[in-house]
Amino acid sequence: MQGTVNQRTDAGTQRGLRGWLGRQFGRTPMIGWLAGALVAVVLEQQVGDPLSELLGLPKIPVLFGFNVALKKPLLIPSALAFELLIYALPIWLVARVASPVMNRVSGILYRLPRWVSPAVHLAVLYAALHIWADLSAYRGITLRLMLIAVMLTLSLNLINGYMGEFSCSHPGFMALGAYTTSVFTVGLFMNDKLFGPALLPAAAGPWLFPAALLLGGAVAAVGALVVAIPSFRTRGDYLAIISLAFLFIVKSLIENLEFVGGPRGMSKQPNWATLPVVFLWTVACLWTINNFVRSTMGKALNAVRDDELAANAMTVNTRKTKMMGFLFAAFWAGVAGGLFAHVLRYVNPGTFGLQKLAEVLAMVYFGGLNSVYGSIVGAVSISLLGEALRALEILKWIIIPLLLILVMIFRPTGLIAFTEFNVRDVLRPKTGPDGEV
Amino acid sequence: MRKVAWTTLSFLLAVALACPAMAGKKTIKIGLNVPITGDIPKVGEGSKYAAEMWLEDIEKAGGLEVGGKKYPVEIVIEDNESKAESAVKVATKLITDDEVLVIVGPQSSKQAVPAGEVANNYETPMISPWSTNPDTTKDRPYVFRGCFLDPFQGPVLANFITDEFGFTKAAVLYDVASDYPKGLAEFFKEAWEAKHSKGSVVAFESFTTKDTDFSSQLTKIIKSGAQVLFTPQYYNEVALIVQQAHQLGWDKPIVGSDSWGSAETVELCGKDCYGAFFSTHYAAAGATGATKAFIDRYKAEYGYVPDDVGALTWDSLRLVETAIQSCGKITGRIEKDRKCVRDALARIKEFDGITGKMTFTEEGDPIKCAVIVRISDSGEYEFYKSVCP
Repeated sequence: MQGTVNQRTDAGTQRGLRGWLGRQFGRTPMIGWLAGALVAVVLEQQVGDPLSELLGLPKIPVLFGFNVALKKPLLIPSALAFELLIYALPIWLVARVASPVMNRVSGILYRLPRWVSPAVHLAVLYAALHIWADLSAYRGITLRLMLIAVMLTLSLNLINGYMGEFSCSHPGFMALGAYTTSVFTVGLFMNDKLFGPALLPAAAGPWLFPAALLLGGAVAAVGALVVAIPSFRTRGDYLAIISLAFLFIVKSLIENLEFVGGPRGMSKQPNWATLPVVFLWTVACLWTINNFVRSTMGKALNAVRDDELAANAMTVNTRKTKMMGFLFAAFWAGVAGGLFAHVLRYVNPGTFGLQKLAEVLAMVYFGGLNSVYGSIVGAVSISLLGEALRALEILKWIIIPLLLILVMIFRPTGLIAFTEFNVRDVLRPKTGPDGEV
Repeated sequence: MRKVAWTTLSFLLAVALACPAMAGKKTIKIGLNVPITGDIPKVGEGSKYAAEMWLEDIEKAGGLEVGGKKYPVEIVIEDNESKAESAVKVATKLITDDEVLVIVGPQSSKQAVPAGEVANNYETPMISPWSTNPDTTKDRPYVFRGCFLDPFQGPVLANFITDEFGFTKAAVLYDVASDYPKGLAEFFKEAWEAKHSKGSVVAFESFTTKDTDFSSQLTKIIKSGAQVLFTPQYYNEVALIVQQAHQLGWDKPIVGSDSWGSAETVELCGKDCYGAFFSTHYAAAGATGATKAFIDRYKAEYGYVPDDVGALTWDSLRLVETAIQSCGKITGRIEKDRKCVRDALARIKEFDGITGKMTFTEEGDPIKCAVIVRISDSGEYEFYKSVCP
């Protein structure tokens, strides 16, 4: 967080856009931004319909006006005006004008027990997301898949970024989690031709869903063990090759298992992966992975990456460290896979192929290696871009890879690489240049 | 203050620009959920072109006439990238954001199964022109399809081979990792063994997607003493399988399924495929009446003979048109109109499409005839025989 602190102190003296932005917003704490977003979405919920009608829009622009702009260029000014009035203006007002009040609130929260402040922030964030997604089911499904992408990216970053190995088996872990969870829920709670009638009452389902996800994660971790045991005796490209082989093994295995539908896939998953459920799991994933990488274990992981021999000499149990990191990442990929299956309510082995791998890798390298921040930024921006540019059809597949190439040229390790995500620091009030409360 | 000024300015500009764009007329929106990019872009292209042709007809007539009033029609085309999750997102977007009356697509089963779930949940009628997986329409009153199913096609081919050649021993070569070939191979085997005896499918060999060398499987098939080879594969694999079989000395008939129907099959396979048979939805060469008119027009506009996907999409759109018209009126309340269109679709009897007459069953699957096509000695798809259920 050193960078932000410097930026804040220099804000008064810097010139240009950056300096202006710093002067305008340098003093706004996180809660101010979240409150601004909440105000914006409430405003959209209340006056979105009449305003869009007034501006001549067919309805509220669903994804920040991208769809409208690309399909009907004549409506660009209206869409722009809508976004400015509903999002930019209220957020700016709350962030700028209400920042003293927000700093006071933030200061009070900061002094309460440590868990209160993050909990309040998350509650406000969830409220904003919930109201935003409530206006359109399309937003809902995009948001849920985006949160799952965040989980996947974070877990892959653990291996490719923090541990410095190149693993290709993530879709395989996802598939293991997705199928285990689906077999559990469909087998126990649904009337299905593969598994017969429901064994347990449907009312118990949502309560046992976490158990199903944990089981999915555990199976993925056991699968990871199969890759880890032979490959961690060596270094470098070997893991990439073994993990790629593992991905194909999992895919063929599922294709040949009749009881899960083979290549036809499995459907009829119950609709339990709702927005709050996915949100809570994403927060849990973020929290545990962030704590993991900031703990001594995470530091050991970094040491192994930088120089395994030296780390070994400094009493780091390198083998155990690598195993822990790898299995932990696979566990979260499995959980994400389970959620994915229940959001789509259908899984087939074809989904977990090389294309999925390329997608997750792109998110990791776009966002930034060795960085929780970067993973969030990468997953959110690639998913949103993919959705927003859908109307461009084939051009979309030129624009997104081009962006990736540009990022690789100008920031070879990704947009926000090698930064630490210090929750306490992010959430603290920003009253003065010295940061005193 | 600068920012405030800018906002006000753009706001005024927007309002000024937007006012003439307001329109109050009720339009009928139809969503198209097709793979424009991804693994099978040709399929998406064919569907898109068929839809454009259909829309052209409607626009020429001044709109779709429902109950004596003409309504403008809008087709919302969305790309589902040939991915299951994108098909779900696109279906949700078309239903809740674009508020379409009916969805046509997705084409492949891996997308139609999850997208059908979405359409059924939101009570929006959906027709998949090309999906052959029974799960697509099963227990989903709002989901229909435009083609026959694999459990029908398998027996059709088994009967055809038996009646035509009088063979008793067959071999099957299929892709175990792809749902369509695998399903059809199994249905064929079941039908064949029921007709002859257990073990009359003397070789049941498989491979995995993207394999290019089939010599070991083909050698086994040749040694097994089979009289005919059935391979329900896609065009790129068909070419390799047929050529390799001939190189290894196979000189008996080869039979395929509707996945052979692409124009690419003959282009890639060449002379090796001449004389082969396959079952499909319609035969382009020697077509008559409306089917011929469609093919000629498509060829004139886009430069190639349409695949079965294009023809099936055309039929699906015509089914939708018929259903909307027989609905009687458009109230503008989308839930009510969707329900009305669904009921009208389910009631359709003896619809005269370019891929044959169809009547929907309770499940939303059509009862329609299959066509057996022979690849002629000049590489054209000739009508050989029609097989009805």
